[in-house]
Amino acid sequence: MRTHKLCMLGDFGVGKTSLVARFVRSTFSAKYLTTVGVKVDSKEVALPGREPLKLVVWDIAGRGALDGVGENYLRGASALLLVADGTREASLASALNLLMQSRRSLPNAVVALAVNKLDLVDRWEVAPATLAELRNTLPVFETSALSGDGVEAAFADLAARLAP
Amino acid sequence: MTPMPALPSAVEDYLRDTLMRRAHPLLLSFGDDWQLRELHGDPAVYGLDAEHGLRELQDLFIGLPLDGHQDLPFVEFSNGRSAHVHLIADAPGFHVLLLDAEEERERQRAQQQLGHDAVLTGHEQSKAIGRLTEIRNELERQRASLEEANALKNALIATLSHEFRTPLTSIFGYLHLLERRLDGSGNAAQALQAVRRNATYLFTLAENLLEYGRGESGAALLNPVEVDLTLLARDLDAMFRPLAEDKGVAFRVDLLVEETAPPVFDEVRLRQIVVNLLSNAVRYTTKGEIACDLVWRDGRLSIDVADSGIGISAEFRDSVFKPFNRGGQSGSKGAGLGLSIVRRLIEQMRGELRLESELGRGTRFRVELPPLARAAAKSAASHAAPFPRGVQALVVDDDPDIAQLLEVLLIDLGFEVRVAENASQAIAEATRQPPDVLLIDVELPGLSGNAAVFQLRSHGYRGRIVTLSATSTGDARDASLRAGADHYLTKPLNLDQFVGVMQRALQGEASGQNPDADRRG
Repeated sequence: MRTHKLCMLGDFGVGKTSLVARFVRSTFSAKYLTTVGVKVDSKEVALPGREPLKLVVWDIAGRGALDGVGENYLRGASALLLVADGTREASLASALNLLMQSRRSLPNAVVALAVNKLDLVDRWEVAPATLAELRNTLPVFETSALSGDGVEAAFADLAARLAP
Repeated sequence: MTPMPALPSAVEDYLRDTLMRRAHPLLLSFGDDWQLRELHGDPAVYGLDAEHGLRELQDLFIGLPLDGHQDLPFVEFSNGRSAHVHLIADAPGFHVLLLDAEEERERQRAQQQLGHDAVLTGHEQSKAIGRLTEIRNELERQRASLEEANALKNALIATLSHEFRTPLTSIFGYLHLLERRLDGSGNAAQALQAVRRNATYLFTLAENLLEYGRGESGAALLNPVEVDLTLLARDLDAMFRPLAEDKGVAFRVDLLVEETAPPVFDEVRLRQIVVNLLSNAVRYTTKGEIACDLVWRDGRLSIDVADSGIGISAEFRDSVFKPFNRGGQSGSKGAGLGLSIVRRLIEQMRGELRLESELGRGTRFRVELPPLARAAAKSAASHAAPFPRGVQALVVDDDPDIAQLLEVLLIDLGFEVRVAENASQAIAEATRQPPDVLLIDVELPGLSGNAAVFQLRSHGYRGRIVTLSATSTGDARDASLRAGADHYLTKPLNLDQFVGVMQRALQGEASGQNPDADRRG
């Protein structure tokens, strides 16, 4: 089975670990526990009409993902899932900034953006028009690690684009 | 420089033991194809069992060359333990060395957690403060608008009261006259008493109704119709001549019409103006004459009401137009509302009002009114135009009764209606075939209506969106509008308002452009 490395990138507290937990184990914990270093998980993804593939998901600590150490974590990745928190507009800028930086070492990685915490949409700072604009550049998914909305779709989109 | 002497062997042994104990080193030596050749240490420390352990290690080096050194700090393994992972090239194979980083990770995590929590809490706090400020401002705005609404309501009730009282005053006036002529005896007198009783009852009922209707307020629109001036003059004469003559005051109404077409006015308001002016004149005149001249000439209606009453002194000329102020015309009955209402009505009709008066000699009010344009009537009619047929609506509500109610209402209005019962269905349906109007409940199970609205908007849906909610707070409304809705309606639905909102939605008016439009919702 083909295996691809996928890195989660985004500011701290946006829900990267929660998205991975939802995707890999279908679990959710509301408690925020900051990630130090990296946690590696994997999951097979079924693709309609094609061979399934295995995603090895690197849940990299928020921020500092691209200081010297972070570059090490990114090497060899073929997919990036940028994560922003809809309730913190600044985290969207962080995610896009991380994308620009990672493009230097990963020019060919497939990329998607997950704007997380859709369950708190009433408190979102990110405007729908902003995401409509971003969609011209990259696939955008509104996700909720709590409810699971959009999570499978975001990973599936990356997997589909990794498949030959 | 002298070479550093070797450490005493006892110290070296101690150091080695300590470091080994703390670092739990695990060394795995591989051939170039991940063939395990040697193993030092305990793989169980990192949860690397024989079945999955090798796969877990291989996953770490996907996409990385195995012929150079690699250094991956703080890698959390499936048993939750953290290690620094080093790959040491040793052609033709390589070694993978794991050193325990659990203690260090926990220390870093604790520090980092404090920092991150502080930042996240700070963000939440500043948002909460922002929200509180908004709430305070909103409360302030609401307080101001309540005060305004209250003042308006009071004025409206006063106006209504006055409108009821004026004709009743006339009824009572005639009763009085008739009663005097009949000398209080016989069947006719009894009949008049019955009329008086019932008129009094009607008056009480009217007052009760007004009390009951205090909740409703709002400015009424003008209703332009062709006015029969001859009939108006005759009515005025019939209403006021007996009242005036009863006081020994001469009374006349003269009409001069030079235009061929009848004037267009809001007849009720026009009558109110003249009736109020004449009531005022009758009230304050005890001798001489009251004259009313109506002239319809050069496209303007002028109303001239002159009396030989007590007059108004110069200092009170402005204040007589204020409510509850009789401007020095003391010693009379009445709430002092008539002139304030006259002025308000004339302003509404874009007319002019002038007052001439001499204390002790009389008062003259001159009113000039331009007729109302007929166009106003037409535009009022077009506002209530029927809906175009075949407009596509998508109704989303998990309550089948509400969904059906909305469906029936919309079909009645000529819409073509589809129904969805949750947000995901709504998104799929609106994406497959975008409706012209989406009506969506905010409190849907699972993904909320607002989340669906947000997603549709962020995917470029450009149709109109009306959200429906059982929550009637400004915050809830704002959240919906922020998510991308154009209108916000609260349940239970007010059908008139519903139809109004649908009309505005189709005309492309959003609440943002008309912020008060739906606030009452």
